[in-house]
Amino acid sequence: MASRSLQTQMAGVEVAGQNLANVNTTGYSRQRVVISSAPDLQTSAGPEGTGANVTSIQQVVSSLLNSQIQTQASASGYANAQQTAYQTAQNGLDEFLNGSGATASTSAAGASTSDSGLSGQLTSLFNAFSSLATSPSASSQQAVVGAAQNLATTFNNISSQLGTASADEDQSVSNDVASANTLLSNIAGLNTEIVAAQGSGGNANDLLDQREQDLENLSGLTSITTSTNTNGAVNVSIGGQTLVSGNKVSDTLQTYTAGNGHLLVQTASGGVQLTLSGGTIQGAIDARDGTLATMQGNIDSLASNLITAVNTIQNNGYNSAGGSGNTFFTGTNAGNIGVSYALSNNPGLIQVSSSPTTGGDTSLALQISQLAGTAQSGLNNQTFGDYYDATVAELGTALSDANTQVTNQTAVTNMLATQRGAVSGVSTDEEMTNLMTFQRAYEASAQLVTTINTMMGDTLAMKTS
Amino acid sequence: MRIATNAYTDSMLNQFNLLASQQQNLQSQVSTGLRVQAPSDDPVAMQNTLGYLANQSTQTQYSANIATLQTRATSVDGVLQSLQTISSRAGEIATSAGSATNSQSDLNNYADEVNTLINQVVNAANTKDPSTGKYLFGGTASGTAPFSTTTDASGDVTAVTYSGNTTVNKAQIGAGMTASVDIPGANTSGTGPRGLITDSQSGADFLNHLISLRNDLTAGNTTAVTGTDSANLQKDENNISYQVANNGVVQNQLTAAASFATSNGQNLSQMISNSSSADLMTTMVQLNQAQTSYQAALQSGAKIMQLSLLNYIQ
Repeated sequence: MASRSLQTQMAGVEVAGQNLANVNTTGYSRQRVVISSAPDLQTSAGPEGTGANVTSIQQVVSSLLNSQIQTQASASGYANAQQTAYQTAQNGLDEFLNGSGATASTSAAGASTSDSGLSGQLTSLFNAFSSLATSPSASSQQAVVGAAQNLATTFNNISSQLGTASADEDQSVSNDVASANTLLSNIAGLNTEIVAAQGSGGNANDLLDQREQDLENLSGLTSITTSTNTNGAVNVSIGGQTLVSGNKVSDTLQTYTAGNGHLLVQTASGGVQLTLSGGTIQGAIDARDGTLATMQGNIDSLASNLITAVNTIQNNGYNSAGGSGNTFFTGTNAGNIGVSYALSNNPGLIQVSSSPTTGGDTSLALQISQLAGTAQSGLNNQTFGDYYDATVAELGTALSDANTQVTNQTAVTNMLATQRGAVSGVSTDEEMTNLMTFQRAYEASAQLVTTINTMMGDTLAMKTS
Repeated sequence: MRIATNAYTDSMLNQFNLLASQQQNLQSQVSTGLRVQAPSDDPVAMQNTLGYLANQSTQTQYSANIATLQTRATSVDGVLQSLQTISSRAGEIATSAGSATNSQSDLNNYADEVNTLINQVVNAANTKDPSTGKYLFGGTASGTAPFSTTTDASGDVTAVTYSGNTTVNKAQIGAGMTASVDIPGANTSGTGPRGLITDSQSGADFLNHLISLRNDLTAGNTTAVTGTDSANLQKDENNISYQVANNGVVQNQLTAAASFATSNGQNLSQMISNSSSADLMTTMVQLNQAQTSYQAALQSGAKIMQLSLLNYIQ
């Protein structure tokens, strides 16, 4: 009985030690030793105790909290993916306000606020035309072509940045799918080990923790549905397709190219195209096909309407020598808009005269400058500037919403983590206390051994004396 | 509730991140003076601000256009003043020459003076805009001198040709407002802006009238000088006076438009400030609050993290 007691208390010390060792291990759930008294011996004097046994070493987990954490991981992943995508797009748009702190007072005139993005350059182009209409000199012509070149370059940059942002999303989908497949295979592997360990009456606590971690990481990538078999294995399905069934991976994820050249996700061997929800994969897909695509569309539409509007006027005009035949803008969208080679080389060829015989006429420059305030039917009846400003605001709203989502999700995730910590987290104070409790009990049991030893000695001494 | 050991550090880290990002955000507002820098800071304010900025830039362009026109109007005014002087001198000659006491030699002297006046008028009408190098009175025709002359053997001008046209460039001086200070040298169409030298609406034809005055003087035809020539020169003088008055009207219009553009620009500055600028006082107070919270979190965190049962057991 005494040695059993020593073993029992030793187990308590070991579990406390295991908990202390894993205080910083991510996903570790604290363990608890369950001790119960050993079966009695029936004697004539009644039942006589035989000490205590370790019944089991239990994990302290809340499966409800775990499943909530999985759900929130998907929501967080989705919001984070969108935030990243929109941040990239916002940087690509490069439409920021600049200012110097000098005017920051309650009576600030705001005179130092400026904007270096497309909005400012669009206005600069129209202003340059207005200037040309007022004062037809070589330097005004140069200024118009210069402003147009700046604007075209900015259009090109934005288009390329948005394209890169979109390609980044594809890359991220592809990376996430690879990570998800690794996790699926890990989960199936852990299922095998857990079933084996528990089937032989053993303890699979640490494996369970690892599997829970993998499930949470997988949830961050995409929403999953899980079900637990009676033997302890977990089945995982994504988008309605079972991918882990017991100890084997029944199918994996694979990207495929949708008609627009962008990646979507399907099952690898089944070829079932999946509609995912939540997680970074769908977050990236939605950001790419939603706001990013809208941005690219709007910027292209702005560029193409501008090209048409300016060219319609300029290309029908005559230069100061009465010549014609040079287009102003080349290209058809934001990606390829440019100023024609001839005009770039010789701004004097700009065609703002309404007749070949009136070389000093600048009425077409006036007309083009007045486009700034003209509603364009191709742009929802907004002016160029208003349309662009609305596009900027749309992206701003998307990012601002994503930021709020991420903040809220972080708060929820932190709260759940704290709650799980309250249940499963290791407290060093508590383990130290347990350690001392078991140490004292061990000392007491050891004292029992000493006592019995002494008593045995006394008995033997009685016989020999 | 049980508190796991790492719950402290985890929640403290979250709190530090939150407070640090708040501080960073407020610090950036103070240093730039802007509450809104990126579209996501405040999409609506950003949209409005971009609109105001574009409008402000347009108002600045209006001001620049107006300044250009004002300079040109001053040049035009200078020419008009000298034409007025020439015109009144021609009128005097027509009156004085008509007197019966004049001999032919006197008339010839007058004729010589008129020749000088003719050349002066041609020069004045071919004045260039100093800033663009374009002729002021050629309409929108390209860069050749609007008035060319034919001279006889003795170098006297016998005929004048106008190679300009009757249209003028307009410049934007406000939303939906255009103005022009240009005057075509000649307009015989009867519509559009009145010509400077020749104009069918007023019957002015200054150079030809001067030529016929000279011819009549040389011919000793004092009846024509006091009659037709004098009456014609009066028409020219009236036309020039009209142009002077018109130039004054345009200059007034420009002054009004300039002050309108300036005040619009100021209003827009205020609107830009209202929608995008940080209020320094509020921002500083918030920054102080954030700093205090950050400090408190750091201090309390450092204290709590030192505490453990381990400090008390041996």
